[in-house]
Amino acid sequence: MYRSIILSILLCSNAIAHEMTPTYPTWESSYMEGIKKTTMAMFNRRPDVEYYEIGVFDDKWKPVPFVTSYKIINLKYLSHVKFDVYMSAKHSAKAEYICSTSKLRGDNVMIASKICSRFK
Amino acid sequence: MKKLITIGLILGLAGCSLFSSKVEAANIDITGTVQSRCIVNTDTAGMYGNPNAYTLTTVPASAGQLPIVRVDVSLANAYHAKISYPTSFSSSPSLGDTVAWTGAATVVQTSTSDMSGYQSASSLSGAMRTYALTVAGTTWFSVASVATYGGGQQKPFPGGSYKAVVLAECIAQ
Repeated sequence: MYRSIILSILLCSNAIAHEMTPTYPTWESSYMEGIKKTTMAMFNRRPDVEYYEIGVFDDKWKPVPFVTSYKIINLKYLSHVKFDVYMSAKHSAKAEYICSTSKLRGDNVMIASKICSRFK
Repeated sequence: MKKLITIGLILGLAGCSLFSSKVEAANIDITGTVQSRCIVNTDTAGMYGNPNAYTLTTVPASAGQLPIVRVDVSLANAYHAKISYPTSFSSSPSLGDTVAWTGAATVVQTSTSDMSGYQSASSLSGAMRTYALTVAGTTWFSVASVATYGGGQQKPFPGGSYKAVVLAECIAQ
């Protein structure tokens, strides 16, 4: 009970954070034959970050070709974005992880955040 | 008599309306999805101290500041946290000699005592330490980083601004 309360407070707190959902995305058919699509959502609570890079990887962390509107997404502080990732059916079978990585501009020791969802 | 019939009708209609509203309420579905998620928070920015001419360190005893990363997960056994200390500068003055890098990621605080075994259960691969987040909740990690210039010959770092990056990853299992 206390754990849930503490977690709820922390999740709602005004921290400097990077968030991406869903944890386990699934491929669905797109309007184009032979092309699969999945939709991801991101939320930026990092005032020091305005751009996030999207990447799709196989189970050995090798890049898999994909298409989005922008591979580097401009996401302003406290903004949400939903973006679609398209991939050929052949490549979608190989895709294991979809990741977003913060692009940094800052001083001294910076913290890069990376969140990866997994296709199951 | 008429009054009694009228009252009976009113009560009957009211009863029907109550009954029908109950039926309607019973037909309203409530759906929801509980979804795990991971949030990577940068609680404290790091800073290098310069205790001598050839060392840059985030250790507080040497006037540095340890970067603190907080990872929140809302479902147990859904994510791995991977914390890496820097092994190069992301920007620096031109360096003609080698830089030796050391560092360590450490769990400094957890939201529940169930997570107390995270550090001992973690694994190290190069500069990256991997933690299995087996409990829903929050974990704070600190990252120590030490850069020494001169390939063991204690040469002074050239003057200028130095930047390095700590990587905090949250990877779905």
